[in-house]
Parts: sequence; C-alpha cells; structure tokens
Amino acid sequence: MIVAEHLRKRFGDVTAVHEVSLRAEDGRVTGLLGPNGAGKTTTLRLLYGLMRPDAGTVQIDDVNVIADPLGAQAKVGVLPDAHGLYPRLTAREHVRYFGELQGLRGAALEQRIAALIERLDMGGIADRRAAGFSQGERMKVSLARALVHGPNNVILDEPTNGLDVMSTRAVRKLIRELRDEGKCVLFSSHVMQEVSALCDVIVLVAGGRVVARGTPDELRELSGHVDLEDAFVELTGIDDHRAQTHAEAPS
Amino acid sequence: MTAMNAMNGWLTAVRIVLRKELLDGVRDRRALFSALLYPLLGPLLSGLLFGFMADKQRDAADVPMPVMAADRAPELVEWLEAHGVEVVAAPEHPREAVRDGEVPFVVSVPEGFAASLAEGNPAKIELIVDGSRNDSRAAIGHAQKLLGYYGQELASQRLLARGIDPEVMHPVIVAEVEVASDQELAASVFAFVPMFVLMATFIGGMQLAVDATAGERERGSLEPLLLNPVSRSAIVVGKWLAAVAFALGCVILTLVACVAVLEYTPVRDLGLSLDLRVPALFGVLLAAAPMALMAAALQVLVASFARSFKEAQTYISLLVFVPMVPAVIGMMTGLERSIGALLIPGVGQQIVVEQLLGGGAATALDYLLPMLSALVVAAACVWLTAWMFRRESVVFGR
Repeated sequence: MIVAEHLRKRFGDVTAVHEVSLRAEDGRVTGLLGPNGAGKTTTLRLLYGLMRPDAGTVQIDDVNVIADPLGAQAKVGVLPDAHGLYPRLTAREHVRYFGELQGLRGAALEQRIAALIERLDMGGIADRRAAGFSQGERMKVSLARALVHGPNNVILDEPTNGLDVMSTRAVRKLIRELRDEGKCVLFSSHVMQEVSALCDVIVLVAGGRVVARGTPDELRELSGHVDLEDAFVELTGIDDHRAQTHAEAPS
Repeated sequence: MTAMNAMNGWLTAVRIVLRKELLDGVRDRRALFSALLYPLLGPLLSGLLFGFMADKQRDAADVPMPVMAADRAPELVEWLEAHGVEVVAAPEHPREAVRDGEVPFVVSVPEGFAASLAEGNPAKIELIVDGSRNDSRAAIGHAQKLLGYYGQELASQRLLARGIDPEVMHPVIVAEVEVASDQELAASVFAFVPMFVLMATFIGGMQLAVDATAGERERGSLEPLLLNPVSRSAIVVGKWLAAVAFALGCVILTLVACVAVLEYTPVRDLGLSLDLRVPALFGVLLAAAPMALMAAALQVLVASFARSFKEAQTYISLLVFVPMVPAVIGMMTGLERSIGALLIPGVGQQIVVEQLLGGGAATALDYLLPMLSALVVAAACVWLTAWMFRRESVVFGR
C-alpha cells in the first residue's frame, strides 16, 4: 500500500508538485492520469524516494519513505521514467544484477530470474546483449529487473509509452496479473484508454495538484460527461489551468 | 552487531557493483582498447627510437672514409687503414654529395699538405660536413676523433725526435669523474619509463570511469540503479574500484612492455642498463598503485560532474596531462628528493619510480609519503562523488 499526504516539490522557481495526496490500495490498480507536465513523474519520484519532498509524507506499507528510502525501495518495484539498459549486458545479466543488489543470492535468485523470463516471454532474448533490443524487448527487461525481488508494491511510470500493440498488451496483462496476486500497482499515463481499461481507481492530476479521484464511473459522473475523454478535459481544466498557474506565480 | 551487518552489506554491494562494472568494461571495446593498446604503444615506439639511435652509434665506426686527393697524404691513409678504417675515393663533387647526404662527410687533403708536414708547419686538412644533418653526427664525430689522434701522434713523434717528453703537451689533464652509477645514467635516458608508468594509471581506467558515471546517466540507467536498496557510497566505490583495476592492469602491462623493449631491442648497445629485476618492478608497482587509486577517483569525480558523456571525455583526456607535468620536469631538470616534493601526488611517485629504476633503494618513507597524499586525494574525490550522487540535481541531470 502506498499513501502520500500533502506532497510538495519545487525546483528553483518552478513548483512541479503543489499539493498531491493519494492512496494506492493492495489488490488494486491505481492510475495517475494527467496531461504532460502535470507533475506525474515528479510525484512518482517522491513516492519511490529518489526525490525528497519539500513538504508532506510518503508511506510504503509500514515504511516511512522520507526517513528510510532504502528500506522503502526493498518493498517497491519501480519502472522509472528513465529506464536505460546496459548495451553490453544480456537480459539475464540485467535482471541478475538488480536481483543481487536487492539482496537475492544463489539458487533462489536464478529461480526468480527464470520465472520472470518465462512470465515476460523473454526466452528468445534472455542471453542476448541489450544493444540491439527493440522498444518492447527493452521494456520487458526493465520490468523484469524492477520485479526481480517480488515487491508487494509496483510503481510504473508510463509503462506503455512507445510500445507497439503486442507489447502494450503484454504489459497490460502483467499489470492485471500483479493486481490479481494482491499487489498494489500504481502507474502513470497520459492516455485515457489505457487508464480506463486498466484502473480500478484513477487519480487525476493537473498543474501539480490532484483535481479529481475515483473509479472511472465516478469520474464520468463528477464531470457530467459520458465520454471519459471529455471528462478528462473537463476535470483537468486544460483550457484554464495555464491562466491559473500564472495568477498564482506572484505569491 | 548491526554495525557489522551494515558494513558487510555495504561491502557486498560494492562487490556486486564492481563485478558488474568489470564485466561491462571487459566487453567494452573502447575501454579495453585504451587499457591494452596504450601500454604497448609508448614503450614500443621509444624502443624503436632508441634502437635506431644505437644502430647509428654502432655504424659510425663502420662508415668508410671518403678522402679526396688521398695521394697527397699517403702516410695518413696508411695510418687510417692501420686503424681499421676503410678509405675510399671521394665523390666527384664533395660539397654537393655531403649536402645531399650521399656521404656523411668528406676528408679533403689540400695541395701542399705533405710539404707543410715535412717542414713542420701546421698542415691544414679539410673535413667537409653538413652541420644541419643529425644523422651524420655520429660518423663525423668518429672521423674528427681519428684525425685528432693522428695529429697527436705526429706531435709526439716530433717532440721525441727533439728529445722532449711528449707529456709536456699535457700540462693539465682533465679527467672526468663519473659519480652517477651506470644505472643512474640509464635512468636519465629512460626517464620515459616512469612517465609511461604514471600515465598508465590515468589512461587505463579512463573509459571505464566515464562510462560508469556520465555514461550511466546519459543512458538513463542511473535512475533504475539508484532504486536498489544500497547506499550511494557503495555504488560509487564499486565503480571507482573497477576503474582502479583497469588502471592497475594497464600499469602492469606497461611495465611488461618496457621490460620486453629493453630486453629485446638494441637499446642495450647504448651501454645502458636499467634495473628491471623483479623486486624493483614490484617496487614500481607498489609506488604506482596509490597513484592508480587517485587517478581513478579524480576521473570518477570529474566525469560525474560533467553534464554529458562527451563533456566528461573531454575533461578526462585533459586530466592525463596531470602526471605528465612532474614527469617532464623530472626529465628536464631532475626532481629534488625532499619531504615536500614527496608529498605532492604525482611528483612523489615520479621520484620513487625514478629511484627504483635507477637501482637505488627506496626507503619506507619514500613509499609512504606519496602514498599518503595520493590516498588523501583519492578519499576526498570518492567522498565528493558519493555526495554528488546523493544530490537530485546530479542524479537527474538538471
């Protein structure tokens, strides 16, 4: 379970996250939905402890992320915004490296690697070097190394970005399976269809704030639009949110 | 107990990162290339150069001596031949021939040479040379020396004929007293060896240091790496040690290459020998090791500081000149062995390595002082890098 309260993060003069609180439950897929530049990636970085918030708290299971980021990182598997690979290592070596850093050893580690290779259908690329991998293959390796320690919580930053249909389906299938295993899955996206197809709960962010939250049905109701995309536009206030941030700048 | 566990965990993380970086480095053709090729290239080139020099020196004695109008000085020709010189006829246009380098010099006997000799007047003899030609210098020197001896011999004969001891010609005898051991002389010629060794500490780990820091960030693999529950200092130390390993490998290869060059090329004919026995080599390695620690630490720090891979490479290739400064000063003027000099990283190592290769013994202090200063610099750099890796602005490259 991931709980964040009143998060705030500034970079110099720019406030990327104004006020974000959210709650991602176990056994649920929670979607962080918002337009580009809404502060999704920064919010996620605050959640998995790679950035420190200027204000607010984050809790992953029973660990306070700000006080014990390393402890939190053992409990969460993350596909971050940047998920580059080492071109000279094979897919298997990538997963093994991260598994070792997560504290896995020996037969347990090798078993875990074999299971992930099977699950993500990576048999064909397991022992090839990453230099020539396609987008989909790179994504699979990134997911496998994020999940190698079998974390209870999974945070994915735009996991289907740039993937073709088959790879997107594979990722969606994985997300559903993780939920069915009772894990807490939190992922971000700017694509409506993606979120509506997968999420149990949607957290809608714009301009660094949470503007709405609820099930897809609740959001439709809240906005008064039947079409979720219309609801998205209405609730994020894409048209007037620029004016709003400008008005706030002097304070 | 928990402190012990934490320490063990930290060391384990260092080992995991180190192993991965070494595997990555060994598969990186560029990293391997600079670590493997450099140690061979430098010594080989200088081996060829010195071999060439030795050849010239040896050949100087075997060069036939072109004498113009040899019939005017039959005694001279006879004397030269008696001293093992092959006298040949001079080319038709001696000046042009010398200028064009066909022959290194021409001895020309002017008219009246024999007459002047017979009268006891100074008899002129011409040596036609081209002073701008470096490659004839050894042969000319040899000819000058021979002709000088011939003159001295004639003078002695004349004095004897007048009943005077030829020794009066030498009221003062300048005797050079060489205080340098042969090995020290050799070391001054081979000042390039310490320079190669110290440069190897910078070149060996260069690519790996850039790839593991600036490269890691540019590839976007830094963020996932830092998401593992290990401390940033363990990650930095692992990367640093991998660069150190490459640097040390490069140092060892350089030493091996230098030994091979000195053993198997005509360098020995220069009459020089360098102390390349096993203990001296281990001493050099011991002196160079702290330098490798420092060089890799500097590189990791500088590369982490750079905004991009390219920028890091530029900075780091400039860093290579750091060990060259004391080495060049050492070659030009010789470095004074003092506590202060020993404490300057790079200079201290240069002094110790020179001393070892010169057959001198290095005291414990000679090892300790430069080691101490290099370790302090290395520790400071690693600490700073770990601090930078904890900064969001560095991790996310803002």
